[in-house]
Amino acid sequence: MSAVDLSVQLGRLRLKNPIATASGTFGYGLEFAGFVDLGALGAISVKGLSLRPCLGNPPPRICETDAGMLNAIGLQNVGIEEFLSEKLPKLHALGATVLANVWGDTEAEYRAVVERIGDDPRIAAVELNVSCPNVVKGGMVFGNDPAALHALVAAVRPATRLPLVVKLSPNVTDIVTAAKAAVDGGADVLSLINTLVGLSIDVETREPKIGFTTGGLSGPAIRPVALRMVWEVRKALPNVPIFGIGGIETVEHVLEFLIAGANAVQVGTANFRDPGVCGRLTRDLAGWCERHGVSRVAELSGTLKTRPRPEKAYV
Amino acid sequence: MVVNEALRILRTVRYDAAHFSVFLQAGTIAATAKPGQFVMVQAGDGLRPYLRRAFSVADVTTVAGVPGFELVVRAVGVGTEALGRFAEGTPIPVLGPLGVPFPIDDLKQSDRVALVAGGIGLAPLVLLARRLAERGIPADLFYGGRNESEVLKRPDFERFLGAHRCRYATDDGSLGKRGRVTDILGSALEAGTSYRRVYACGPVPMFRTLAGMLETAGTEGSFALESEMACGFGVCLGCVLPGRDGRFHTICTEGPCLPPTAIDWSRV
Repeated sequence: MSAVDLSVQLGRLRLKNPIATASGTFGYGLEFAGFVDLGALGAISVKGLSLRPCLGNPPPRICETDAGMLNAIGLQNVGIEEFLSEKLPKLHALGATVLANVWGDTEAEYRAVVERIGDDPRIAAVELNVSCPNVVKGGMVFGNDPAALHALVAAVRPATRLPLVVKLSPNVTDIVTAAKAAVDGGADVLSLINTLVGLSIDVETREPKIGFTTGGLSGPAIRPVALRMVWEVRKALPNVPIFGIGGIETVEHVLEFLIAGANAVQVGTANFRDPGVCGRLTRDLAGWCERHGVSRVAELSGTLKTRPRPEKAYV
Repeated sequence: MVVNEALRILRTVRYDAAHFSVFLQAGTIAATAKPGQFVMVQAGDGLRPYLRRAFSVADVTTVAGVPGFELVVRAVGVGTEALGRFAEGTPIPVLGPLGVPFPIDDLKQSDRVALVAGGIGLAPLVLLARRLAERGIPADLFYGGRNESEVLKRPDFERFLGAHRCRYATDDGSLGKRGRVTDILGSALEAGTSYRRVYACGPVPMFRTLAGMLETAGTEGSFALESEMACGFGVCLGCVLPGRDGRFHTICTEGPCLPPTAIDWSRV
């Protein structure tokens, strides 16, 4: 075993390593039990849970794009009750660190699902999805309006004593404004980013390739945007812990996010391509740290060395 | 047990500009793959194609004495085209075997079944024909394609099932009857042939017509369904098709082999 300390601390949330999985790309975790030691992952953010089961959107729901994919699944999930009774006990038995990703159509639904979780000791943190672009109500409606976001987080905050993570939408003019609204409302940790709204067209039929018309773009194509947003939020809110998310495939990508200012990362679409990717990234990160004399991975966070920008254009 | 392994390409056989077979080394997948199951193949480790592609396990066989399995491919886009360009010996990541196979364990030698293939939908039926032949279960093949050259693997079907049990339909009449595969199956049903079960794979219009025919005839069916999928093991939820029960069926884990009565064909 490596001598490198891979553990990271995100406020009150302590993870054994910074490699977590992103909601919507890892099912309820159990589907991956044959490919990854679930207990060895930093954390598992489960498929977004709602108060009642949700059927999701009619197909077609996905299409491939260059270096990524579009999806409009529509938050299909088993609902909080089945998750708590059927999925969570198994995840807990496997030693998984669970982030309960939740969403609702209304502020009241968000609050109700978080109240149902309460202070459940089998859950490490609650992650609010205020950024899904693929539902008609809720989701991104909150994430795109700083005042609504602030009100939502503040309304949910009293419903649990667990750490509250808020997963932000990148589909905004200024990510820092959204980040501040979430933190002012009571967020302990920020996850950024969710998918970017995109469109793909079948030129023969002149129809969108996705049934919902637009979908959320994920995969390596979005990584530079995600890194930029992590960096901006880290600069503006230096004390707020961050999960960096967006197109992570290799240990270099993990390092990019940590250096930009993330304290941990969530791996998303890469899980579809390689169900063992998160186990590999954890091993590769330890190896990289050993080779580079980094004894604590947490030291890497926010170490980007920027050059001064010119004060005026060179003409 | 689903495994994720790197398997070498043993051989690529081209049929025409668009169709080819890729033979992969057996790994641990070939021994456990059942007819109707599929694998997710990563055609290269680059960013285009980004996602793996789903292929039916078409046959479990040997290439020059080396155990392997076969995928029959129609090149329709970047993923399928990339798969045809690999040199023999190249290792490629393969995940499988995946999904629910065709139900065959309950069949008896006194049963008679039909295999219905439309276009590239022949793929999962080759291994099915092999397994049925091994168990001595009589099976009739109804296979439709655009023309004779797009009717693939004929020698294998005719070897497994007997040439007299293989019937063809082509759009241009270059092989068998001119028309659709559902026409020649319909003729057989009208002539009084009855089947314990009809196994099928093909395009949606064929499935839709066939589903109606089987319902009218009161004949059980098992369709190997196709749908675009990102993962193949039930987590992306991208591959769903609408069910008659109002739910969406996850094709990779609830299927790909489902009874046609499970699907709401009016919404596909």
